[in-house]
Amino acid sequence: MTIFIESIMAFFEVAIKFAPKFLPAVALTLQLSFLSILLGTVFGLFVMLLKLTRLKVLEKITDVYISIVRGTPLLLQLYFIFYGLPMLGLEFDSFTSAVIGLAFHSGAYISEIFRGAINGVHYGQEEAGKAIGMNRLQIFYYITLPQAVKQAIPALGNQFIIAVKDSSLASVITITETMLIARQFVAATYNPFPILFVAGCYYYLIISLLSFGLRDIERRLKVNER
Amino acid sequence: MNDKIILKINNLHMNFGALEVLKGINLDVYEGEVISIIGGSGSGKSTLLRCINGLERKNKGDIIFEGKAVKRDYTKLRERIGMVFQHFYLFPHRKIIDNISLGPRVVKHTSKEEAKLQARKLLEKVGLEDKENVYPAMISGGQKQRVAIARALAMNPDIMLFDEPTSALDPELVGEVLQVIQQLAKEGMTMLIVTHEMGFAKEVSDRVIFLSEGQIAEMGTPEEIFENPQNENLKRFIQSIY
Ligand SMILES: Nc1ncnc2c1ncn2[C@@H]1O[C@H](COP(=O)(O)OP(=O)(O)OP(=O)(O)O)[C@@H](O)[C@H]1O
Ligand SMILES: [Mg+2]
Repeated sequence: MTIFIESIMAFFEVAIKFAPKFLPAVALTLQLSFLSILLGTVFGLFVMLLKLTRLKVLEKITDVYISIVRGTPLLLQLYFIFYGLPMLGLEFDSFTSAVIGLAFHSGAYISEIFRGAINGVHYGQEEAGKAIGMNRLQIFYYITLPQAVKQAIPALGNQFIIAVKDSSLASVITITETMLIARQFVAATYNPFPILFVAGCYYYLIISLLSFGLRDIERRLKVNER
Repeated sequence: MNDKIILKINNLHMNFGALEVLKGINLDVYEGEVISIIGGSGSGKSTLLRCINGLERKNKGDIIFEGKAVKRDYTKLRERIGMVFQHFYLFPHRKIIDNISLGPRVVKHTSKEEAKLQARKLLEKVGLEDKENVYPAMISGGQKQRVAIARALAMNPDIMLFDEPTSALDPELVGEVLQVIQQLAKEGMTMLIVTHEMGFAKEVSDRVIFLSEGQIAEMGTPEEIFENPQNENLKRFIQSIY
């Protein structure tokens, strides 16, 4: 019995000792997540707009982009940007590479989420806009987009959560974010459990806060429902 | 009603693929006139209305508004021709007042204050001044349709098109919408109304059109159409209703 209690005490001792040492790495995780979500959304919207132009060339390009992102692992995409692109003369530091890679990756999924949400807006909405003399752009901006964004929020939220977790892959291109620092601490202490536990807690906390924010946004967007 | 032709439909043809829906419609609409369009399901009543403001693209023929044939772009014409749909199609993400003021603000660049003022007047006109700040999901079908009428009127149209404005409504809500349309008729609005409300058509119309087999099979005053029909299909149609 005492052994059990002692080992639990030891576990938390290590966990509490290492928790603050994670902070710089957690900050990096937050930065990576934030930038990949932000740029991924901007990028996703942009790709979706290209698709909406209904120009064959642009449509093809976006299709290729989306199929590449979907058809290959994110890990490989990050390696490619960090190690592959310099051979083509495009060199970025590791943080920039990671942000580009993550945003490029989530952008593809986000553009598909937006596209689905836009297709989900009832055709009558467009007709009602046309009937009062609006042009395509006005209909898109004032009628379709706001309804689509609302529709898209739950799926976008999921994608944002995935983006937070995906940021851990940046560790493979030498970014000392939460997962990499955890591995370094584990290697130094040979004590994986408490350290991985701390890393897990940080992720859980970040994602809980994000989920909370998303739920709040969903709730606010519901004012126009019964 | 006067003798100025505001809208002329000339040899209008429209087909969905192999299905010929309209096979040469000719119609002169006079300013201030109320025309009801009746006919069986699938006879092309909606298609005719939708071809007038270009929601459906005609295959042949001309839509001539105030003496000018409409070219490819219908957006300008749609500012002048309002449309009310069977299923309202209010903008669910906008408050009632904004549903009405959005058109003037975006299309006509009316100032916010002016558009709101005008929207309030229209809400009063359709008897919904107390609903200005709620969302469409929170009002009844009859109220939605009255808002939809106000939204169309906000553009100050010269013609209003109604596609079965009361067909989606519970019976007890039909009256309030018809009343608004009747009021518009009194004020001299030019209107084309697709309806299954024969009593209303009789009362409000200057002329009634019976569509059948892609053509105007019969056209006349309500008395002529309802009391003394000539066309066999029309006779059958009227019998099926009463
Ligand atoms: N988008 C479409 N694609 C293909 N066929 C269509 C389309 N819209 C209508 N049709 C067909 O065209 C014909 C005329 O349709 P329309 O909606 O104009 O009839 P309607 O007189 O308004 O009928 P209802 O009283 O049922 O509203 C019908 O046979 C219908 O099936
Ligand atoms: Mg119809």
